Amino acid sequence: MMRRRAPGPFQLQADGSYRINLPPDVRELLVHLFGELRDVLTQADTSDPALRRLFPAAYHDDPERDAEYQELMRSELVASRLTAISRVVEVVGDGDRLAAGDMDLLLQSLNAVRLLLGTMLDVSEDDGDGIVDGDDPDDPAAAQAHLYSYLGWLLEAAVAAAMGAVADGGNPPKLR
Amino acid sequence: MPSTREEVDIAENVDVSPDSPWVVIVWNDPINLMSYVTFVLRKLFGYSLEKATQLMLDVHHKGRAVVSSGPRERAELDVYRLHEHGLWATMQKDGNDK
Repeated sequence: MMRRRAPGPFQLQADGSYRINLPPDVRELLVHLFGELRDVLTQADTSDPALRRLFPAAYHDDPERDAEYQELMRSELVASRLTAISRVVEVVGDGDRLAAGDMDLLLQSLNAVRLLLGTMLDVSEDDGDGIVDGDDPDDPAAAQAHLYSYLGWLLEAAVAAAMGAVADGGNPPKLR
Repeated sequence: MPSTREEVDIAENVDVSPDSPWVVIVWNDPINLMSYVTFVLRKLFGYSLEKATQLMLDVHHKGRAVVSSGPRERAELDVYRLHEHGLWATMQKDGNDK
C-alpha cells in the first residue's frame, strides 16, 4: 500500500506561487517571531553584539572604509528587512498563497530569525543538529534549541520549494 | 538602489582577472544552512546548481570562498545583497589576503 505523505509546508504551484500549508499555531508562532525581529531591528542599538550576524562588516580589513559603508548602508539594510517582515507577516498570518516574488522575502526573514536565535544560543560548528540535548520543558534554553531546530526544518522546506525541488521535508520535528 | 538590481549577470567563472580589483568573500558560519547558501548564490549571481554547490562546499570546508569580483561599487552591491540574505560576506582588494 502506498502511504500518502503529508504535503510540505510550501508547495510550488504551476503559476510559480506557493501554497502555504501551515497549522494555525505555527502561523501564530512565526508572526510572533517576526514581530520580535522587527522590535529588535527598530528598537535595539544595531551595534549590539547579539545582532552581529545580521550586520556583518563589509570591509573586514579596513575599519575606516567599513565605517563609511555602514553609515551609508546600515539604515538601508534595516529598512529592507522591515519591508520584508511586514509583507511576510501579512501572508503567513492568514494567507494561503505566497506570490513567487515574496518567497525570497520569506526566506530572508526566516533566516534572519534563525541567525538571531543561533547567535543567542551560541551555536558552533561542532553542534551539528545536536544542540537539542535537554527535554526539560521548563528549561528555556532547551525550548529555544527546539525552536531553532524547527526553524531550520521550515527554512530547509522553503528552500526546497524555492529550488523547484519536490518539497518533501519529511515529518516536522515536534514543536513544543 | 541595491534592492532594485536583479540577477542580470550570469557568470560561470568568478576567477579574478586583472581588471577586477575587488573580491567578495563568503565566510563559513555555523548557522546558515548549506542548502540556503547554495540557493542564495544561485539567486543573486545566476550560478548553476553545480557552481553554487561547489562554492558553498568551498565555504564549508575551506572556511571561505570568493563568490564574485569586480569594481568597488559592484562589490559593495554584492556584499549588501548577501547581507540582506544573512550571509557573512566581506570584500577586499584582490591580493590583500589577510
